[in-house]
Amino acid sequence: MRLRTQTAYAFLTPYLLVFLAFWIWPIANSFWLSFLNTRSANWTFNPRVTWGRLLVDPAFANALWNTLIILVIQVPIMIALATVLATLLNSSMLKARGLFRFAFFAPVVVGEVAYAAVFRLMFNHEFGIINKMLAVASVPAIPWLSSPNAAMAVIIIAVTWRWAGYNAIIILAGLQSIPEDVYEAATLDGVSKTRQFFFITLPLLRPVIVLCVVISVIGTMQLFSEPFLITNRGGPGQATETLGLFLYRQAFGAFNFGYASAIAYTIAALAIVISLINLWLGRERE
Amino acid sequence: MRNILTCAAFALALGSGPAFAQSGEITIWSWNVAASSLKATVAGFNKQFPDVKVTVEDLGNQQTFDKTLAGCAAGGAGLPDILSIENHESEIFWSQFPDCFVDLKTLGYTDEIAAKFPDFKRTELEVGGKAYAMPWDSGPVAMFYRRDFYEKAGVDPATIKSWDDFIAAGKKVMEANPGVTMTQADMNGDTEFFRMIANEQGCGYYSKDAQAITVNQPGCVTALEKVKALKDAGQLIPGTWDEKIQANTAGTVATQMYGGWYEGTIRSTSPDLAGKWGVYLMPSASADGPRAANLGGSSLAITSASQHKEAAWAYLNYTLGTNDGQVTMLKEFGLVPSLLTALDDPYVSQEQPFWGGQKVWVDILSTLPKVVPSRGTPFFSDADEIMVAVQLKYLNGGYPDAKSALDDAASQIASATSLPIAE
Repeated sequence: MRLRTQTAYAFLTPYLLVFLAFWIWPIANSFWLSFLNTRSANWTFNPRVTWGRLLVDPAFANALWNTLIILVIQVPIMIALATVLATLLNSSMLKARGLFRFAFFAPVVVGEVAYAAVFRLMFNHEFGIINKMLAVASVPAIPWLSSPNAAMAVIIIAVTWRWAGYNAIIILAGLQSIPEDVYEAATLDGVSKTRQFFFITLPLLRPVIVLCVVISVIGTMQLFSEPFLITNRGGPGQATETLGLFLYRQAFGAFNFGYASAIAYTIAALAIVISLINLWLGRERE
Repeated sequence: MRNILTCAAFALALGSGPAFAQSGEITIWSWNVAASSLKATVAGFNKQFPDVKVTVEDLGNQQTFDKTLAGCAAGGAGLPDILSIENHESEIFWSQFPDCFVDLKTLGYTDEIAAKFPDFKRTELEVGGKAYAMPWDSGPVAMFYRRDFYEKAGVDPATIKSWDDFIAAGKKVMEANPGVTMTQADMNGDTEFFRMIANEQGCGYYSKDAQAITVNQPGCVTALEKVKALKDAGQLIPGTWDEKIQANTAGTVATQMYGGWYEGTIRSTSPDLAGKWGVYLMPSASADGPRAANLGGSSLAITSASQHKEAAWAYLNYTLGTNDGQVTMLKEFGLVPSLLTALDDPYVSQEQPFWGGQKVWVDILSTLPKVVPSRGTPFFSDADEIMVAVQLKYLNGGYPDAKSALDDAASQIASATSLPIAE
């Protein structure tokens, strides 16, 4: 090894040691754990009760189903909303642009516990502002947190509120990288603004939108705080239990570390597979 | 007293403490009212052991559980001397971290002392010949009811002996008091009613030896049927812990079924309703069936990491093992003693002004010796999570009957725990 390389590695050593101890080792160790029966103090090799159980466990199927529902409904809605928001924020007619950009980005900055508490209050059956507003419109009160479908809707609304602005800012950066002269040429050729959006803006934004989708997919696969805090640990019943929550319950409620490790690896594998599909769908085509 | 002090001084001079003269500092982790009640016993304890400084840290229930898990996983690092552990989830600690806790028998927890507690409190704490913790409070189930609502409907609670009687009474109460529901349960996130009635009927998730799943046995089937009967009669509506308190204070509920510790909750959250509440025993499946069950209750354990195990034991023995300690906690914070001799304490037989002069503790505590043990086992949370979902599906008509719902629950629990289903 060349002296310069050695010196570089010497400087990197402290970081690499931390990386080894707190990243590589836990990742490798939890892979090993995922093959052990960890139900009592003497852990034994028995992948049937971890990987085998995944295949037949209705609670895992329920958590996977819930996560996929959120993924399929929430991510497209949020990305579409973010694209519209970004386009509006990019408009030259907009006054106080900085303020609006900050306002839409702000939800990400708010602490999870604080925003969850506010959402719980807003969607409270008897006293929440949402049901009060519905009452004004003569819509009967919805038991948001005790009906399975309504609780799922609350989770989707909350996650969308929190992350739409964040994605809009990323898409905005993409919008600003589209050269102005493309639009000028199109305008000279008499192409309407709407057609410009669909035939110039969206195709040129594709790499950025794919990036947003991939980030959101990974985020949804790990979704934990909202169902933990807003719907009170995945309630009602296990109607909003996500994979992240299920993993937590197995690891830190039932102390079943082996099964929890198998779940963790499954979540990671699913996130990779779904992201690869997205990248493939969003690839540059000839 | 002077003798003890002299001995203590003598022992300090020698630099080592014999069993009767402890010194040092001990720390306890606990939560909410339970932590407050432990603090309340320190003064009495210090009269006997002036050289032991007791610090109670109120971490909250979930934090205590999580930090105990982390501390035990780290080989005892950072743990206090004494830990509060809820009975139903205690065995998960003994089975996963047996070396994290001291066998109390080695510190002086004799069979004679242990025999002062009812069997249902000891069943989870003494596993494999070791005593991991000492029983603290318990939750003998009672019906807390609004006297004025029942009176208006002409219902005498003494006549409510079976769940059928309860439903018939509920019909009258709800007719006479518009806007009032007979009772509430957290059917969306808990199995409290099912567990209480099942325990009363002698059934639980697991067998007493923790080797088999018993959730589909007849007692549990009856329990689940009763929950559905209550709900279908429109007398049982969903309510979380907070929503129940809101309903209590708003006067929209006539009855709450809970462990005896709910006495303190009603008394402190609805002070304006003094004299309007009363207590009666839980109904049974039949008019002459058993009427005792338990919900909740905790224990105290000493950690292997403790530097002052003898002092910690002295505190346990005073606070949990004497009427003095247990009745202090009952008086101050409504913590129900599991020490059987506390039943004979004069305070227990007093009329309680908040409860309209009823001797509620005589009524509630008299059921203690009759409670059938229902063991949590290391797999409690597996079974309970499954049961929450199965119960909700059954209540919404997702199964043809209670037996098939519980057969499904049993097979799910079997796949989660690898335990066999009892014949």
